[in-house]
Amino acid sequence: MIGSESIRYALRNIAHRKGRSFLTVLSIFLGIATIFIFVSFGLGLYGYMNDLLEGGSGDKIMVQPKGSMGVPGLDSTFALTDNDVEVVSRAGGIYEATGSVFKIAEVESRDELKYVFLLSYDPSIPILMDLYDVDVKEGRWLRKGDSGKVLLGYNYLIDDKIFSKGLKINDKITVQDKELRIVGFMESVGNPQDDSQVYVINDYVDEIYPNDSNSYGWIVARADKDNIDWAVENVERGLRNSRDMEEGKEDFSVESFTDMIESFSTAMDIIIGFVVLIALISVVVSAVNTANTMITSVIERTKEIGVIKSIGGTNSEVFGIFLFEAGFLGFVAGVIGVLLGWGAAALGGYILDKGFYLVLFGREFGFGGGWGFLAPVFPGYLFGGLIVFAVLTGAISGAIPAWNASRTNIVDALRYE
Amino acid sequence: MVTERKELIRLRNVSKFYEMGNSVVKALNEVNLKVYEGEFVAIMGPSGSGKSTAMNLVGSLDVPTHGSVFLDEIDISTLGESELAQIRGKKIGFIFQSFNLIANLTTIENVMLPMMFQGTGIDKRRKKAEELLKLVDLGNRGEHYPGELSGGQRQRVAIARSLANDPEVILADEPTGNLDTKTGAIVMEFLEKMNREGKTIIIVTHDPDLAEKYADVVYWLKDGILEKVTKREGKRFVDVTKKVKKAVKGNGVK
Repeated sequence: MIGSESIRYALRNIAHRKGRSFLTVLSIFLGIATIFIFVSFGLGLYGYMNDLLEGGSGDKIMVQPKGSMGVPGLDSTFALTDNDVEVVSRAGGIYEATGSVFKIAEVESRDELKYVFLLSYDPSIPILMDLYDVDVKEGRWLRKGDSGKVLLGYNYLIDDKIFSKGLKINDKITVQDKELRIVGFMESVGNPQDDSQVYVINDYVDEIYPNDSNSYGWIVARADKDNIDWAVENVERGLRNSRDMEEGKEDFSVESFTDMIESFSTAMDIIIGFVVLIALISVVVSAVNTANTMITSVIERTKEIGVIKSIGGTNSEVFGIFLFEAGFLGFVAGVIGVLLGWGAAALGGYILDKGFYLVLFGREFGFGGGWGFLAPVFPGYLFGGLIVFAVLTGAISGAIPAWNASRTNIVDALRYE
Repeated sequence: MVTERKELIRLRNVSKFYEMGNSVVKALNEVNLKVYEGEFVAIMGPSGSGKSTAMNLVGSLDVPTHGSVFLDEIDISTLGESELAQIRGKKIGFIFQSFNLIANLTTIENVMLPMMFQGTGIDKRRKKAEELLKLVDLGNRGEHYPGELSGGQRQRVAIARSLANDPEVILADEPTGNLDTKTGAIVMEFLEKMNREGKTIIIVTHDPDLAEKYADVVYWLKDGILEKVTKREGKRFVDVTKKVKKAVKGNGVK
């Protein structure tokens, strides 16, 4: 039985050894905070990827040069043509397909020059834009025949992001020496690269880059969602035939977004798993530390244990007192760790999204932010689960010392000095 | 006359041996002892006489190597650990030479602690503890920690604690050992007062004057052997060793 005196007894014993209790708690809560931070960001990312799949990406297939990821089209040795688009769109299970040119662009506004990515698409088959899963923030999407017009990412709207002053609809912007009129701005996608892109229609790319071959960097296709793997195989076979390549020696890769996101998820699992594993090891180390604290505590209080038993405390009551003490240390560590992790993750998420700027020792430090999609989430079970985990860590590491305490021989204990 | 009184504790042919390397130390050898309700008993002996061992056995803190210990006619060797703890907590109140209060609990919490182990409710515990502290003239010291009290005061807190569960026996191990004569006398007067009110008191002491001043029966131990038992008859003590041996052995339980 744990009564109010024994709880107070345990609490005062913890308070009595402030320094040692603090170090014990510290070692546990750092591990707990680390786990909290990584799991909250991980859950946020999983949620984001899930939203992508449930949004516009679930039925999409992408063809891109083999071995590239994220920046297709910059490899000049690889080219996808209108013929390839035709092959893809005719493959079984594919509804429609479109190519996209991906270039580096020099953009200029009010004498400020920046280098960004330019992406082109066919406004009559705007499935590439479905992948972003966002709407236009201001103005409109590009339309067929929009030569000399440009759609901009969200960051162009904001002061001090791309240009010192944000742009407006119908402003002019120079792209590769061509002056283009802005027809719209997209909503924020949540990462700085996508939010800094400029978009033009496929038919206008040759005018902006008159000296380049301007082949497609990737092809995006919309497929039958229920038979997407079959559609991927069909596209592969079609392209292999039309490009006259042997199986296994293709210079292109065909993947559904679902697969891409899943393989990304697997990579994330490994990274998050690895970090959480390290944090768990630190928790195990702190459990050893807790056990050490409790062992010392039991030895120090040998005589008191004898007294408690002589006035009617049973073995299980003595066990309960010490177990409670260890569990309580874990509880405090869990609460602090979770709160600390929460604060750190929320702050981290805020900085990733909004950036930060500070002056330290006369030097400027800053980070532009824009990684809004890396937002941590804080479900209730993460708080509860980690606190319970911390309590268990404390209790388990305190179990053996508590057991030893409960087995203490009264006569020896009373004689102990 | 002897048989009319209720028997509380009986040690029958009790021995306690300790192994020290290759040799066996006979801390207590074939000792017989019997304590009746309402008696004031002293276990007397110089250091090394086995009196502490005897106290541990009488208080059921320890079990004998040979022989039997009966508490309220129950052979304690038949009891499990938690039953023994319960009986100890309920029937016996301990007072130690070095007070043995718990430093991290206040005076009143120290007195409340034994009641907690008996499952007494918190309000009742507090009320009883307040009464007991008043009884030992420490009614205003409830919220103090033991470290803030003098030795005599601490021993009075220990007396209050020993009374918490209203035990039949108070077992005091050298209760005045760490106190000066004057405060020691105060503590002994409290014990004497409780004895007058019906409590059975057993003290363990090395001081024959203390034993004979307060006790009705004195068990004299030497080298682990019960040398003699003396009993107060009027103003003097008479040897009743044979009587006790006979009473212990001839009392039903074999």
